[in-house]
Amino acid sequence: MDDTPQHQSNSEQPLTLHTLSSIRSLLINPSTPKPTLSSILQTLTRSSQLTHHTLNLLTDLATHHPSFSQLALDSLLTATESHTRLAIDSLASISQLSFSKPFELDGGRFVSLCFGPSIPGRIWMLKNAGYLFKVRPALLFTVLLGFTKDPYPYVRAASLEGLVGLSEHGDFNDVSMLCSMARDMSMKVRIEAFNSLAKMEIVSKEFLLQSLSKRVFRNEKLRETMDQSTSEQFVMLATSVAGALVHGLEDEFFEVRKSACQSLHTLTILSVEFAREALDLLMDMLNDDSAVVRLQALETMHHMAINGCLKLQEKHLHMFLGALVDNCREVRCAERKILKIVKLNDLAMFKSSIDRLMENLDSYLQDEADVFSAFSHLGRNHKKFVGYIVKETFEEVEAAFEENLEFKSARVAALLIICISAPLFNEYLGVIPPVLFSYAVTLLDRIYYAFSDIMDKDALLAYLCEKSRPPSYSAPNINHGEGEQQLPLIEGDTPNCASNGVIDSKVGSQITKEQKELASYQVEQHQSEYNEVTKFVNYILAKFPDMWQMIETSLTNEVLRSLRCLKEELSTLKFDSLGSHDALAFALLYLRIIMLLVEVWEHLFPAKGSCSHGTGELEFKLAKLDRRIKELMSTFVGFSAEEELNMLELILVTYALRLCKLETICVNLTFKRLTSIYSCVESILKERSVLPSNFVVELGKLLHECCTISINGASCSPLQFDRCLKLFSLKKFVFHGTVKHLKAELSISNNDSLHPFPFVSGLPALEM
Amino acid sequence: MAIETLVLGAGQEVGKSCVIVNINGKRIMFDCGMHMGYTDHRRFPDFSLISPSANFNDALSCIIITHFHLDHVGALVYFTEVCGYRGPVYMTYPTKALSPLMLEDYRKVMVDRRGEEELFTSEHIAECMKKVIAVDLKQTVQVDEDLQIRAYYAGHVIGAAMFYVKVGDAEMVYTGDYNMTPDRHLGAAQIDRLRLDLLITESTYATTIRDSKYAREREFLKAVHKCVSGGGKVLIPTFALGRAQELCILLDDYWERMNLKVPIYFSAGLTIQANMYYKMLIGWTSQKIKDTYSTHNAFDFKNVHKFDRSMIDAPGPCVLFATPGMISGGFSLEVFKHWAPSENNLVTLPGYCVAGTVGHKLTSGKPTKIDTDPDTQIDVRCQIHQLAFSPHTDSKGIMDLVKFLSPKHVMLVHGEKPKMASLKERIHSELGIPCYTPANNETVSIPSTHYVNAEASDTFIRNCLNPNFTFKKCNSVETCGSTLIDRNLTPELQVEDERVADGILVMENNKKAKVVHRDELLLMLDEKKHEV
Repeated sequence: MDDTPQHQSNSEQPLTLHTLSSIRSLLINPSTPKPTLSSILQTLTRSSQLTHHTLNLLTDLATHHPSFSQLALDSLLTATESHTRLAIDSLASISQLSFSKPFELDGGRFVSLCFGPSIPGRIWMLKNAGYLFKVRPALLFTVLLGFTKDPYPYVRAASLEGLVGLSEHGDFNDVSMLCSMARDMSMKVRIEAFNSLAKMEIVSKEFLLQSLSKRVFRNEKLRETMDQSTSEQFVMLATSVAGALVHGLEDEFFEVRKSACQSLHTLTILSVEFAREALDLLMDMLNDDSAVVRLQALETMHHMAINGCLKLQEKHLHMFLGALVDNCREVRCAERKILKIVKLNDLAMFKSSIDRLMENLDSYLQDEADVFSAFSHLGRNHKKFVGYIVKETFEEVEAAFEENLEFKSARVAALLIICISAPLFNEYLGVIPPVLFSYAVTLLDRIYYAFSDIMDKDALLAYLCEKSRPPSYSAPNINHGEGEQQLPLIEGDTPNCASNGVIDSKVGSQITKEQKELASYQVEQHQSEYNEVTKFVNYILAKFPDMWQMIETSLTNEVLRSLRCLKEELSTLKFDSLGSHDALAFALLYLRIIMLLVEVWEHLFPAKGSCSHGTGELEFKLAKLDRRIKELMSTFVGFSAEEELNMLELILVTYALRLCKLETICVNLTFKRLTSIYSCVESILKERSVLPSNFVVELGKLLHECCTISINGASCSPLQFDRCLKLFSLKKFVFHGTVKHLKAELSISNNDSLHPFPFVSGLPALEM
Repeated sequence: MAIETLVLGAGQEVGKSCVIVNINGKRIMFDCGMHMGYTDHRRFPDFSLISPSANFNDALSCIIITHFHLDHVGALVYFTEVCGYRGPVYMTYPTKALSPLMLEDYRKVMVDRRGEEELFTSEHIAECMKKVIAVDLKQTVQVDEDLQIRAYYAGHVIGAAMFYVKVGDAEMVYTGDYNMTPDRHLGAAQIDRLRLDLLITESTYATTIRDSKYAREREFLKAVHKCVSGGGKVLIPTFALGRAQELCILLDDYWERMNLKVPIYFSAGLTIQANMYYKMLIGWTSQKIKDTYSTHNAFDFKNVHKFDRSMIDAPGPCVLFATPGMISGGFSLEVFKHWAPSENNLVTLPGYCVAGTVGHKLTSGKPTKIDTDPDTQIDVRCQIHQLAFSPHTDSKGIMDLVKFLSPKHVMLVHGEKPKMASLKERIHSELGIPCYTPANNETVSIPSTHYVNAEASDTFIRNCLNPNFTFKKCNSVETCGSTLIDRNLTPELQVEDERVADGILVMENNKKAKVVHRDELLLMLDEKKHEV
């Protein structure tokens, strides 16, 4: 520690580097005694000793020895009054001290520091003063503005940076100034100018449009409203704004061009007219030799499309669609991203888009999946245009399939995608020939990715199967092969999924990728679980018609046994997604109905059936069956007409059984109900022009006879009903997504086991 | 003192650029061009005005050539070899490399084709080039004790430069031809903020404001692409240097991007040779080409092949660059004869063609038949596309440069008289700078500020270095804030950084004049009192 006295003796001499380094080691040693530290402080603060190094040492002292921090800070503050570069260095040191509260720099000092002779110091001040020290914004603004005219490009850039900082706090908004900087000779200044321009939030339309034209507009109308000097000033400002963006886009340096493209991002939102004119320029940027600039131009267009200000015109198409065959993968991808959401105005544009996408497909096989996806979106967004081209497309696809042209398959697949996408999210137009959907099924593996944003492969298959049936001809009598189940997919089916698709296509990049992935993962989870359940339910439902045949051959007990097994299996399943729950509830209820029906049916075969069952039991079961069917019809919604018909038929069966087996006193009432249900069935049949089942036909004849003979049908013989019932066969019931279970939980306050409410107004009496 | 400017050529016209500037006792010749429109004595500048005794070596300190175009360098060989100037000649490296090519080509055309009297020989060209001192950009060259010159990038053609000259305190810039917007293969003109007494600038497009070049490029590419995808052949008659490389970079880049496989050909000869030079002079091209040069030389055109005469009638689409540019004869005419009759083919012509050439006939009206000579008639059924690429700055560019440099005086040369007058008026009224447009053989004396060699005190110099901007308060306060437009056009402050320091010129007896800061003056006066 013999260094310390030495300092004092040598105090008039500048400290050597060796001494300085030994002082430093003393300073960063936490156990250096206080007297030593204070003598070091004394040595360091002697004004003749102040150098860059001593400032650093003072900072060290302040950071390592909190007890000295205030003293060190004070001496640093004294140093800021120096007239050299040292003042700025000491300011920089102060700003590094984390403990110090925001340092107030008074205006006079700030100006004198900025105006000091040291250029690096000046740049440091301009860059940092606004953030690190509290300087009056008005003063800062004035100084920064002044330095935009400095001869040194770095000073100009730094002052511009400072101004942008101010503009972020809303203190600065001078577009004409920025535009005049956009013509600076220094590349860095130009980049900075466009970066700042992008942050402007209020720019008048006149200035925006002026920035796109090198010619100065002489707006006579505007000038009339101004006096002489204002109008001169306006022309002066317009001159500095004129063509600023054009120059930026034409710049030699791609960094500047990119920055100019980027500034259009926000500026195009400000004015529709400006957006339209800027698009003309932006299109030409797709011809840029730098892929970075092309990508930025596309990115900007995408942004415009999201904001609804991308108005594509015929003259843009060559350039715009040219990007589809660009040799840069990212550019092609960005272009398709726009195509997926853009709204094309006329058929010609739609057709050219298809043609160029086909070229894309030809030239870059690796793009196939995404091109198909673009086709799918194009079809979804332009159903009207698809309608126009469907005829020729159909012929081409038809020909390709007949001749089995392998080489055309990518093209054919693309054409199919665009056609089959059109009815998605749209009303079924009826213009797409169903056979196209069945062709698409053969290419399922290749094309399903195009729809992956809204449905998976199985759902697509179901959709295709549904649509491939002629619209006038419907399900009941078509016997589907094993495994090829009919699962019509309708929008409401998978709410998460479908709406996700819509959001995706409209908002696009606004959802960040991660979120999207997460969401689609969850959707997929539910989707797959739901698919599992639906499959299982339909598997069970498909068994019933077969079982019915067994009943007719009097194997009732076996049937009942297997039904009970199924029931047990069903009731053990539990799923959390809403759709799955509905499917299970439906299946269980339907199963119960079938069980009851089977049990009741036994009574039709008195010869074989045991006579132990009394009439009372039959009546009870019939009533239960009636109630269950009604429950099915009222607590589930979303049945198709055919399905409703099936259920009505079951009710008819119940009534017919009643009339046939129970010669009760209320024949008339039952008969009346039967007739009214039958007329319901009849009207549905008429409406849908569906062929009625044999049972319904016979029943109809019988009812007709009864009605002509007598008013109340009392004369009808039970045997006649028996004959009708023999014709009845159970139809296959397919569960699909539209069927929803309605249930409500009613919570009534003050209703507990001790004080039960016997009656709730507005609700039917509770069945216990 | 004054700067005296004698305009020997390109005064109120385009052609034979030649300006003699007498600046602080030094006489410098800027450019030494020939006029392509004349074949008599008017084709060269009137050198006798420089020195009636023809003693050019004493009359001139140096010659500065801005670029290799003949209207800027064409008379140089004649002046050095025939008239006998032996002083230094300065030009940039590319200009030195390409000028002999141009001069030789011109000599051949003159002698071999037109059968004119030879003005200079190939040996003369070689001898002349030995006198040339090549300079680099931003390199300050001390010509003699007092004279400094420095070259700045000018765009226009490869190697084109603006020259800054400083003699004592007098400073000036002669721009030559320049371009303020970048090309595919050349950058934009670039210069520092200087304090000039005089700026001599070209004014080819004194009143034109050009729109973005992108639209023209787009139309060109679209036409070419359409033609070749329809199986047609594209003929691009072009001059060997500049335009050929510009269009070729454009096409090569497009080919690369669009993955086109149609061949692009260069007719042999000058173009191939010129491409070789471009490959070597890569440092003088645009930023992009410089940046990518380490991985790929942009003039190493990937899709470009050499063309052989036998391929003229070969089937299939192609693009061919052939000289000369206006189909005035030579190979481009030969190819044109073969390709013009098919409507699938395309001919791309420059925006301007000299009257009398096939190019001119094609661009003026839509001829179906063209007579090349009394015996030959060509059926023209091909498509014609006109493509104007001009490497000159437009009027906005000129104004931007003048505004940026803010010289004390501006002189316009290399333009058309009425348009120059209009630009002169604008410079005067909008920028408040006096402007001159002298005709040929006129002398203009710039009343430059009176310069006295004076010492400056340290305080004064420090004061000069410091920024010294003033703010003009906006006076129309009442209009502020009423509407958006109003607010935009009346910023609260307007800035001027004159950077003219306050100083006091002290001229004491027997001592050199000295400029001092006003604070120092009092001090000095005090001292004097004591002395007395």
